[in-house]
Amino acid sequence: MDEEKEEEREEEKKDKPDRKPILALGLLLVSLAVLIIIFFTGGEREKVRRLAQVSVPKAAPAAAEPTARRTVTLFFLSDNDDLLHGETREIAAGPSAADEAERALAELIKGSTGGLVSPLPAEARVRQVFITKDGVAYVDFGREIMEKFSYGSSSELAAVYSVVDTMAYNFKSIKRVAILVEGTEKETLGGHIDLTQPFPPDYSIVAK
Amino acid sequence: MDKKHRPSLSCFLLTSLLVAAFAAAPASSEPGVRARAEAKKLRTVVIDPGHGGMELGAKGKYGHLEKDITLAIALKLKALIEKNLAFGVVLTRDKDVDVPVENRAAVANNVKADLFISIHTNGSRQKAAEGSETFFLSSGQTPDEETRRLAYLENNGSRIEDHVDKPSESDVKMILWDMAQTAYIRQSSQLADLIQAELNSLLGTRNRGIKQAPFKVLTGVACPAVLIEAAFISNPNEERKLATDEFQTSVAEAIFRGLSKYLQIYP
Repeated sequence: MDEEKEEEREEEKKDKPDRKPILALGLLLVSLAVLIIIFFTGGEREKVRRLAQVSVPKAAPAAAEPTARRTVTLFFLSDNDDLLHGETREIAAGPSAADEAERALAELIKGSTGGLVSPLPAEARVRQVFITKDGVAYVDFGREIMEKFSYGSSSELAAVYSVVDTMAYNFKSIKRVAILVEGTEKETLGGHIDLTQPFPPDYSIVAK
Repeated sequence: MDKKHRPSLSCFLLTSLLVAAFAAAPASSEPGVRARAEAKKLRTVVIDPGHGGMELGAKGKYGHLEKDITLAIALKLKALIEKNLAFGVVLTRDKDVDVPVENRAAVANNVKADLFISIHTNGSRQKAAEGSETFFLSSGQTPDEETRRLAYLENNGSRIEDHVDKPSESDVKMILWDMAQTAYIRQSSQLADLIQAELNSLLGTRNRGIKQAPFKVLTGVACPAVLIEAAFISNPNEERKLATDEFQTSVAEAIFRGLSKYLQIYP
């Protein structure tokens, strides 16, 4: 009888350690689920709050002038000379100069409507424009601007200065333009023009 | 391949230059090395064939690549200089390999180059673009910064190398290398002018003149430096020319003649 009892106890002992990890796992899963719920609900609440904060000041001017437009001058190449030629475009205005700058660059990439030559590869994409207080515009392109074209000196100069002049010509707050690719500083687009310094505009290469 | 006439001499020149380059970098403040370098008075041209390796440069309609043509011209120019001038020649690359842009200037500064010549063929998105041009550096900075740089240089002596050499002042070294080319702008423009004149008469390509642009490869070079754009590989007519041995030889010859004329002014 004693032996049997001992065997039973032993079996109980065996059972207990078997259950423990299952319990622990269950507890872990539950706490994980709780954490996940907290994480997502907490995150959403914050998002909502942020959106609410931003949308309050945004809503007022947007309601007052729902279709505000402004004219910008974009710089393209011509087949007849080596100069940049201006072409005007209507873009949506505001709210910030950086927003307008992004729209102007998107139009520049789309290309000319008047038979001029596009200085940027059609696949190029602007990720963001950021304008500092001291007037440097950081134009951040996606990798396409480097990968979708093999630049010579002329095409690289044209690509850089079409962006630089388009920015500085249309936006008073922009004095110099720095070109980034995928958020980082690159030496050059294709082995020629130094991108490590911001460019002042060069209107000597613009047709009169 | 003309240099096969005197391979032993050019080999000796190259090896001694390379040895000098490696010795000069870490221990140039050592008086012995300096004295030896002075005594040798070996003058050096650094030729930089544009692009290379993964970096193709401009592409032609018929598939010719800028990196291949620049290397072919550079090898021809090297042979011409070694045959006719008392100069050593160092190439920033002698085969199809990647060389980071800043390393090209470093090669020139490490061998204490007397002249730096970067060879390119042009590319444009305008199909009809044609002709040859020679660039020298514009820093692309505001006039204010330019003035400050020049003032700094004047206050700190004209021979930049004297400052660059001191290994203890690594910060100063970086700054000075960064603005190294600024001190040589006038000589660089003269060299550009003389080479451009020869390109016009020998190649018969459209004269696009001499120009300034902020070329990365030129910024750190501490000696007169130019960048030649011989014809447009993006223009099918000029691409066909660029691919011929005859045209490549003419480009090398034109650069060589411009260089020789420059050396008559600055012997």
